[in-house]
Amino acid sequence: MFRSRTPEETKTAMHKVVEEMYDRIVKGEPPTMTLPVRTKTNIAFDKKLGVYKYGKKQSVRDATSLGSAKQLLRTLHVVEFIEEMLDAGKSSTLREMYYISEGWGMGKFGSQNDSNNLAEDLEIVTKCLREDFKLRPEEDGARMIGNLTLRERNRRGEWMRINARDDVGDSGYGVPYNVELEKIELLEHDIDFIMAIETGGMFDRLIENGFDEQYRCGLLHLKGQPARSTRRIMKRMSEEWDLPVVVFLDGDPWSFRIFASIAYGAIKTAHISEYLATPSATYLGITADDIVAYELPSDDLSKKDIEALNAELTDPRFADSWWQEQINMMLELGKKAEQQSLAKYGLDFVTETYLPEKLAELGLA
Amino acid sequence: MTGIAQKLASNQKQVAISEFFEKNKHFLGFDSLARSLITAVKEAVDNALDACEEARILPTIRIKVTKVDIKKDIIKMVVEDNGPGIPQKSIEKVFGQLLFGSRFHAIRQSRGQQGIGITGVVMYCQLTTGRTTHVRSKIATEPTAAFVDIGLDTRKNKATKANAGREIWYNEDGTGKEHGTEVTAEMKAKYQKGRQSVWQYLRMTSIVNPHAEIIFTDPDGETHHWTRVTQRLPTKVESIKPHPHGIELGQLQRMIAESTDLNLNHFLLNNFSGVTNRARKELCQAAEIEGTRKMKSVKGDDIRSLLEAFQGERLFNGLPVKLLKPPTNCLSPIEELLIKKGLSKTIDSRFVSTLTRVPNVTQGNPFQIEVGLIFGGGMAGDKPVEILRFANRVPLMYQQGGCLLTKAIESVDWRQYGLDQAGGKGVPKGPAAILVHLASTNVQFTSEAKEALADNAEVMEEARRAMLEVGRGLRKHLEKKKKMAKTKEKFELINDILPAIAEKSAQILERPVPELSGSITKIMSAVISESTTEWNKETKQTDVEIVLFNYTTRVRAYTILATWPEKSGATMVLNDTGGRKEALGVWAWKLDSLQPGGKTTISYSLSGLERGDWTETEVLFRGSQDVIGATKMDETFLQEILRQEQLMDESGIESPEAESEKNEVPSEPVEENAPPAIAPPESEKDEVSNESVEENVPPAIAPPDGQRTLFGGGV
Repeated sequence: MFRSRTPEETKTAMHKVVEEMYDRIVKGEPPTMTLPVRTKTNIAFDKKLGVYKYGKKQSVRDATSLGSAKQLLRTLHVVEFIEEMLDAGKSSTLREMYYISEGWGMGKFGSQNDSNNLAEDLEIVTKCLREDFKLRPEEDGARMIGNLTLRERNRRGEWMRINARDDVGDSGYGVPYNVELEKIELLEHDIDFIMAIETGGMFDRLIENGFDEQYRCGLLHLKGQPARSTRRIMKRMSEEWDLPVVVFLDGDPWSFRIFASIAYGAIKTAHISEYLATPSATYLGITADDIVAYELPSDDLSKKDIEALNAELTDPRFADSWWQEQINMMLELGKKAEQQSLAKYGLDFVTETYLPEKLAELGLA
Repeated sequence: MTGIAQKLASNQKQVAISEFFEKNKHFLGFDSLARSLITAVKEAVDNALDACEEARILPTIRIKVTKVDIKKDIIKMVVEDNGPGIPQKSIEKVFGQLLFGSRFHAIRQSRGQQGIGITGVVMYCQLTTGRTTHVRSKIATEPTAAFVDIGLDTRKNKATKANAGREIWYNEDGTGKEHGTEVTAEMKAKYQKGRQSVWQYLRMTSIVNPHAEIIFTDPDGETHHWTRVTQRLPTKVESIKPHPHGIELGQLQRMIAESTDLNLNHFLLNNFSGVTNRARKELCQAAEIEGTRKMKSVKGDDIRSLLEAFQGERLFNGLPVKLLKPPTNCLSPIEELLIKKGLSKTIDSRFVSTLTRVPNVTQGNPFQIEVGLIFGGGMAGDKPVEILRFANRVPLMYQQGGCLLTKAIESVDWRQYGLDQAGGKGVPKGPAAILVHLASTNVQFTSEAKEALADNAEVMEEARRAMLEVGRGLRKHLEKKKKMAKTKEKFELINDILPAIAEKSAQILERPVPELSGSITKIMSAVISESTTEWNKETKQTDVEIVLFNYTTRVRAYTILATWPEKSGATMVLNDTGGRKEALGVWAWKLDSLQPGGKTTISYSLSGLERGDWTETEVLFRGSQDVIGATKMDETFLQEILRQEQLMDESGIESPEAESEKNEVPSEPVEENAPPAIAPPESEKDEVSNESVEENVPPAIAPPDGQRTLFGGGV
């Protein structure tokens, strides 16, 4: 499904993008770049892959406005830069590329976000991965703790065997940005499921309370919206070890989105959903029900929260009845709650009452 | 110079109201310690400006305020001018007697109007500090200056003088002063900063007196210098006789009682403006009084009847008697360009729009509205705009809310012109200042404090219309700025980005760089206009260039129009593209064939302007396809220009600029005195008003309205 491309294949794919622009100018038309529409209106469920992928809607970025024209020029600079790296056998971070663009004159990026988006655009149209482009993310991988063992090739090229319970400190095993086979091999485990957790505070609470050992699970700290490598390693563990994944987040519209990106695929990276998403992942909490059932301390929804919830109602990824119910209920309540609000009932409540009850519903405890 | 100084002094009359002042000093601007100082400065500066204006001298005025005794709030004010000076024997009269001054008795636009002026300051100093006011004055024909300390005996209505003498007056640089007056006064007062301060008063004064140089040293020793931005003095105003529509009973009674005319016929013809021989006959018939009646026999009910005939309550042939409008040459507007300069030198800004309306008449009194709007630059964007109100060039600093001029501003929905305004009412917010000036022979105030103008429907309407026009100017400016930014982007796209895309893509693909013209036409797909208006240092002209690019695939035809300051006396030169006059201040060029991918340039220069007079040309177009960077001709805008033009023709008004142009450049062909395009309905010769203007003898009449009430009606 996904395989690394050779530098020559990558170059050829990128040249197609450049040719589109060049040919249009030769024809006396404004140069263009055609790419899929990257909004929720253009993602659809792929039955075969079990994830959401971009649909057929295409958008044309053409040079009739200054902004788009600059974007095309930037694309050309990026292509040229990648070719140089491929030829020299180097790689750079997206952030480095952003700074390198300082020297691109009119083609320089306006913000780091611009450069990240453009790298994604190129991935999408060329069907290459950014690893093929020799571009590394800045983003910080997740932390993991639990009785699972893997092998990681270190900087000296040596394989290191690491048990994520016995060989790590309190901060756990740090997931590197590259979690592909050439870097990481999953060896063995003695756990029943993986629990992904949104906040560091809750992650640490569960470790302190010995939850991983008591409930035979691997704990994974997502650090908010999870990085690609975090989602990728979840997917690999889920597939290669055939383990269930449960996701424990705050109870707010943004957490729903985090879950969607884990289970169904993120809108921004829908071109590689089958590579990143874990369709079998389950949302554990905090649900809108929980806010009522556990009488959790809660905050009023902000205007932005309400907008986000309303947007989710029309997002195809939340189209099933359970999600519609949860979203509508949250809108009716007008409330949201954090994971750590469970501390209302004491520090052990989450590990002794809440999680066991929720896991029991799923048949995991 | 003697002639002028002495003539001014001989024209004075005495009215005894010293006691009135003592009881009513709050009416005269001495009601608070802070305001007293402003009033004192104001009276001295007004006097200086008036004297210079009458003597046709460009004023340079120095004002110094120092704190003498901080505990007791004693402040010293020194105001020095370069006016004609006052002859020694007249000094005590000028400074020591209330209502002494020629301006009080003439009907024309003047600063002080009530004539209480500087005497009030002398009196205030006397009352609060017990000190006299030191005056030094020199006229050009005498070698030395006269000086004297003036006090006031308020009971006897007489000046007291002491320490009179003569001395040589040296300037700071050691040279001898040629002529001028200096007033040194000590009074109980407070110096304040901010919106109601001496500084603000002088700043506003400098805006509406761009011909004056004002130097102010404040109590902290800091010097504020407002420079002179024009060498042109305000137009000399003529006195006019009262118009029957503006007369009230008491005044008419007094005029009749004081009349030396042979009979009623002569009285009507000699003492009023707007009364023709025909109107004279009709007024007599309407009032049912024989025109041959001796004035002494015109009494009681006769006077009432006459007044009713004046006001159209008594009819002639079933209609009110038609009167000519009063002449408007008694008004001295500041004029658009000078307001612009005055505003620009005082306030940092990006855009100034000014407008002088054609004079109008309300209740027999000529008046004229001027408005200026200044926008952008360093002004705060989230606060109410600064309102600068003026009546006859005098700043109005108090009672802003109750003033007609403020109400006129508040009545405009400024949101449509690009300013914030809650609910489309009230004082708008934004980085702007709005100036309103009313020039009138009879300014009506809400109270004796003379700080707010009283309601008047006609004045209000004129002010509103003027604001709508400057507002429109602002909107156009903002729209243009937006459009220019867009056009700039498009040019950047085709000139910089597109070639870079072509080059880089060719380089990556190792192919030749492709030709761009096809893509450019597709990207722009429009006709674009770019214009520049720049001051040319060498030629002392304003160069204007309008360039049209046709980035479409077809041949295009347009009429391009541009605004230019014709009204302000500019002439268009080096206009090689020809064209024709469309309306006052609007020139038009017909461009028949703009070739695809081609460009056409219109260029011309404007002479007769100074640097900064004209910085933005509005480019308009007529044609089916949009022109980016130009505005589609709004035909209603054109009609308003033509309407005002017609009004000017009808009333036979020539703009003051045109007049001065005539004076300065006699060789230029002066427009023939053709009869007005539309003759007045009853075209009887208006002998009376013509001859009256020539003669310089002020009619013996009582002061008009605003002043009469001040002294309780009739002296």
